[in-house]
Amino acid sequence: MTEEEIKPFERADEPQHQATDFRRLDSRVVNLWRVSWLIGFGVLLLSLLIPVVSVGVAEPRALAWLASAWLATTAAAVWLCLWYPPRLYRSWGYRIDAKVLETRSGRLFQRARLLPLSRLQHVDIERGPLERMFGLAALVLHTAGTHSANIRIPGLEAAEAMRLRDHLIEIGGDDAV
Amino acid sequence: MQSESLAASVFEGRLHPLTIAFSLLKAARGIIPAMSLLFFGNKVYGFMLLMAVVASTVATALARYFSFTYRVVGNELITQHGILERKQRSIPLERIQEIRVEQGVLHRVFDVVDAKIETGGGGGAEASLSVLSRSEVEKLRRAIFERAAKIRSDTGLTNQTAEKQVVATPEPIVIRRLGLKDLILMGLTTNHLISALALAGALWNFAQEHVPESFRLRAGNLLYRESERLFTQDTALTIALMVLSALAVIGVFSTVVAIIRFYGFTLSLASEDLRRRYGLFTRRASSLPRRRIQVLKIEEKLFRRLFGLVTLRVDTSGSHREHKDDNTGRDVLLPIARRGDVDPLLTIFFPDFDAGRIEGAEWRRVSRLAIRRGAIKGAIVCALAAAFLFGAYQQLFALWPLALLPLVYFISAANYRNLRYTLSDRYFCARHGWAERSTHIVPINKVQAVEIHQSPFDRRLGLATLRVDTAGQAYTGGGPRIKNLPIDEAREIAGALAHRASETRYIEDRRSRIENG
Repeated sequence: MTEEEIKPFERADEPQHQATDFRRLDSRVVNLWRVSWLIGFGVLLLSLLIPVVSVGVAEPRALAWLASAWLATTAAAVWLCLWYPPRLYRSWGYRIDAKVLETRSGRLFQRARLLPLSRLQHVDIERGPLERMFGLAALVLHTAGTHSANIRIPGLEAAEAMRLRDHLIEIGGDDAV
Repeated sequence: MQSESLAASVFEGRLHPLTIAFSLLKAARGIIPAMSLLFFGNKVYGFMLLMAVVASTVATALARYFSFTYRVVGNELITQHGILERKQRSIPLERIQEIRVEQGVLHRVFDVVDAKIETGGGGGAEASLSVLSRSEVEKLRRAIFERAAKIRSDTGLTNQTAEKQVVATPEPIVIRRLGLKDLILMGLTTNHLISALALAGALWNFAQEHVPESFRLRAGNLLYRESERLFTQDTALTIALMVLSALAVIGVFSTVVAIIRFYGFTLSLASEDLRRRYGLFTRRASSLPRRRIQVLKIEEKLFRRLFGLVTLRVDTSGSHREHKDDNTGRDVLLPIARRGDVDPLLTIFFPDFDAGRIEGAEWRRVSRLAIRRGAIKGAIVCALAAAFLFGAYQQLFALWPLALLPLVYFISAANYRNLRYTLSDRYFCARHGWAERSTHIVPINKVQAVEIHQSPFDRRLGLATLRVDTAGQAYTGGGPRIKNLPIDEAREIAGALAHRASETRYIEDRRSRIENG
């Protein structure tokens, strides 16, 4: 069988789903990610400071090396926290038609996930303290699947997340396990 | 009309009186070590302690027997037990996936069983009824599944014919029975190397403990001398003999295991339920409604593939592995079948199967770039091995891994030829592997999500990996994953799959939806 013979999998009665454009996350998510990553890295680097200092005190010759290595790591981490979020933000998108929710994300490793809305088990809204500060919320969609049992859409505007949740529950969700 | 019949209790039952005896026996197994300890320690206190343990065990066993009740009320199965604190558990009938029955040797003498109720929740049996008489389990099974079917039809979820079928409950139709010949064939083609090694280890331990040292040494010396003599006389013959005897031991061992586990295996269909019954010493039986199958896997392992034999596995949404090396045989729907039998079997498991024949199917292929990618990956491994060996030995001969390159290419090409998939109105099928091949079949109404992945390499070549997610993965490894699809094709299939999945109902029998419009 050659590749030319292949026909697309189309059913005559299947309505062509309109390819709506992907919607973006709320742009405030960039700063949310920056702040939360900085906090995460900060805790990690500060706890690394303890062995650095204690080894440095015990072995003063190593202190300069250790301190410069720590500073370099810190600088790299800070740069990453500031540089990467806008790029991640641009890679994120989601779209919903009458039957399917599709998300795409990732820069280096790209991923698209399609969720048949009638398989939706339940929908959570997650708002941590930082998210509340930025007025954002994350939507978590649960299916009965095993590999990707939940799909998380981060950084939605809080009211938009609520609206989306109500909309999703309305169209899907009467057919769960 | 329905509301009053739903509220009434359809079925009520208690455990079999032998529950007491079996609980005591189970407890006794735990007490025996304590008892042996007793006679080495302080006899008076030890005896008192033992008496206390025995008394509490008897009390628990009695309490369990007298307080445990179960009943089918409305659309729930309710179990209740406990005297001081009454524990009640309600399981919605439509969530019950499977009723599993186990019968040890002693259970068989008294014709009683352990019954386990499985639901989609994962994490093991939802309720364990131990022990019940066998006829009682049959009644309970009928009560549960007939009720569930009735509820479905009352709420308009099934079509009329299905309801009639269920109410009539015809005698089970035997789909497949495995004879001794099948089991021997199965044992001989099982790769039980690891189990055989474990057996050898156990034998060695046994010999060390129970065989006198002088004898052991003499036997060892004799064996060593003889094999050394043979080895120097005829090296090839000795090696061949050793390999053959090892294979024979493994073969015999695997056959014995297969016979003990699956003796008298019968797969039958009773209205909507697939029933399995098997086991030489411990008899096991389970039934699962066929519409609960989330994914079916046709497994062709190396040896079996050579003989045209396959193993069928299925997952329900509740299936989960109790131990890593579960040896209860629950992981297979049909432990062995001929490749040619798969197609007729599939029409039984999936009455609305519409993806054509599986045997010799010419489905869609992925991109031909798959061959190149596989070959490059293999070549890198070969090159690294050659570089390492050359570094170690500094001889031209050490470059032998490079000689494997043609083989690597051949394997990649063979893998490519076997990497195929197809999408019909109701089913998604995917196949991969050449030496060991597996084919996954997913009813589209069981698709939970679809994913497309692209690594940087994928993107450069315009390829992607497609993954279909289903609710069960304990025995089949979950939904299939197809690598090296052209990205546009991957997007098209993912879109079509997700939309078709969304249009179908997960629980309802799909045909009824079409018939009812």
